Amino acid sequence: MTTGTEPARAQRQRMRLVGLAVTTCGLAILALAAAVALSWRGDLPDPVATHWGAQGSPDGFMSLGAFLWAGFGSGALLVLGFGAVTTLWGQSAASRRIGAGTTIWLALFLALLQLGTLHVQLGLADAREAGGIGGALTLATVASLVPAVLVGLLLPGDPPQPADAPVSPEASRVPLAPNERAVWIGHTGAGPGIALGAVAIVVLVALAVVSGVWGLLIVAALLVGVFVAMFAFTVRVDETGLLVRSSAGWPRTHVPLDEVLRASVVQVHPLREFGGWGWRVGRGGRVGIVLRAGEGLLVERTGGRSIVVTVADAGTAAALLNTLADRHRRTL
Amino acid sequence: MLFRIDPSLDETLFAQLVTQVRLAVAQGVLQPGERLPAARELAASLDLNVHTVLRAYQLLRDDGLIELRRGRGAIVTARPAADHAKLLAAIDEVVREARALRFSPEATATLLKEAFSS
Repeated sequence: MTTGTEPARAQRQRMRLVGLAVTTCGLAILALAAAVALSWRGDLPDPVATHWGAQGSPDGFMSLGAFLWAGFGSGALLVLGFGAVTTLWGQSAASRRIGAGTTIWLALFLALLQLGTLHVQLGLADAREAGGIGGALTLATVASLVPAVLVGLLLPGDPPQPADAPVSPEASRVPLAPNERAVWIGHTGAGPGIALGAVAIVVLVALAVVSGVWGLLIVAALLVGVFVAMFAFTVRVDETGLLVRSSAGWPRTHVPLDEVLRASVVQVHPLREFGGWGWRVGRGGRVGIVLRAGEGLLVERTGGRSIVVTVADAGTAAALLNTLADRHRRTL
Repeated sequence: MLFRIDPSLDETLFAQLVTQVRLAVAQGVLQPGERLPAARELAASLDLNVHTVLRAYQLLRDDGLIELRRGRGAIVTARPAADHAKLLAAIDEVVREARALRFSPEATATLLKEAFSS
């Protein structure tokens, strides 16, 4: 297809560059946190508290060295894993953004949680006297999300990659008269992921009330924001291509007609293929806007990219997208 | 659902929209409670004047097929499915008879149109 051409090389470079950069940043954040923790060594009890029970008092203890190695080791594994996903599956800008954002978020969250855990023990002779870490947990959650979201937002999108081949002839079509204009508009609504999200929010609010850690309410509010954005999407196929837009206005994505190689209907299993519901990256870097199991519109795109949206009547949407892409190539 | 507009047809643009929504409701493609696209979005995608779409929506509302709600857009009204069952059954009958007589779909449609205008 486009292998070996200039755009394909540039694309592989982008994937490697972003993957390498976030992996390096992630490891540097973890190492920096370990270094700061070591510099606190003189003021920390030995052993340090590393786990807190439901009552808010510590119930697990470790030597500082073991705690730092465990934290750095597990963090590094996660950073390397998500960095690899970004490098190998980052064909689409959306996959790179999600992969890079997740890598940075994980590194920052683990680093801040580790430092927060130790910070409440500074100056203590015995780790058993340490207070709760609700504040540290909240700070780690919020302070790690902001830079991670920024990384995702600031990463550049994909440059245009027009196809040099016609739309697959075996793909379905809609018969359109020469002057006929057509649009397909569908909606995809709340699925099981939303129910899970609602339960999570209720549990968080209940926890905040019971434990008195009011910071958890901030986390709940952030979750509400995520679920509003992921609650429902409008899917549109017209002469500008495919548009998938959240009912909240954002997030949205657009596939221009000249990048469509083939649209078809597939059966989607969100949990198996994407590890959950919402706006996700699946196996092979496929972008999924998957709110429920069942019928979905699959659009195979230039540059080895693909996107799946779960929506009813996907067959009509696919056929129209193929037809309009055909027509667009003929008018070039 | 799929909306299509052919300016080279005799039928006016807004009437083409009305016909399609009516068919979609009759065939169950549009279910009660389902939302039609925002008039502005539909107009932009089909390269129509937004008033053309609004006029179609108003006519559909006057026919009781949709409700226009401020802020929520056009919603397909709940109505008993039996409304169309008789018509669809009669159409099946027409198609069967036309096939038996080797009438083309075009010829049959012409007969139907003439019956409407008489």
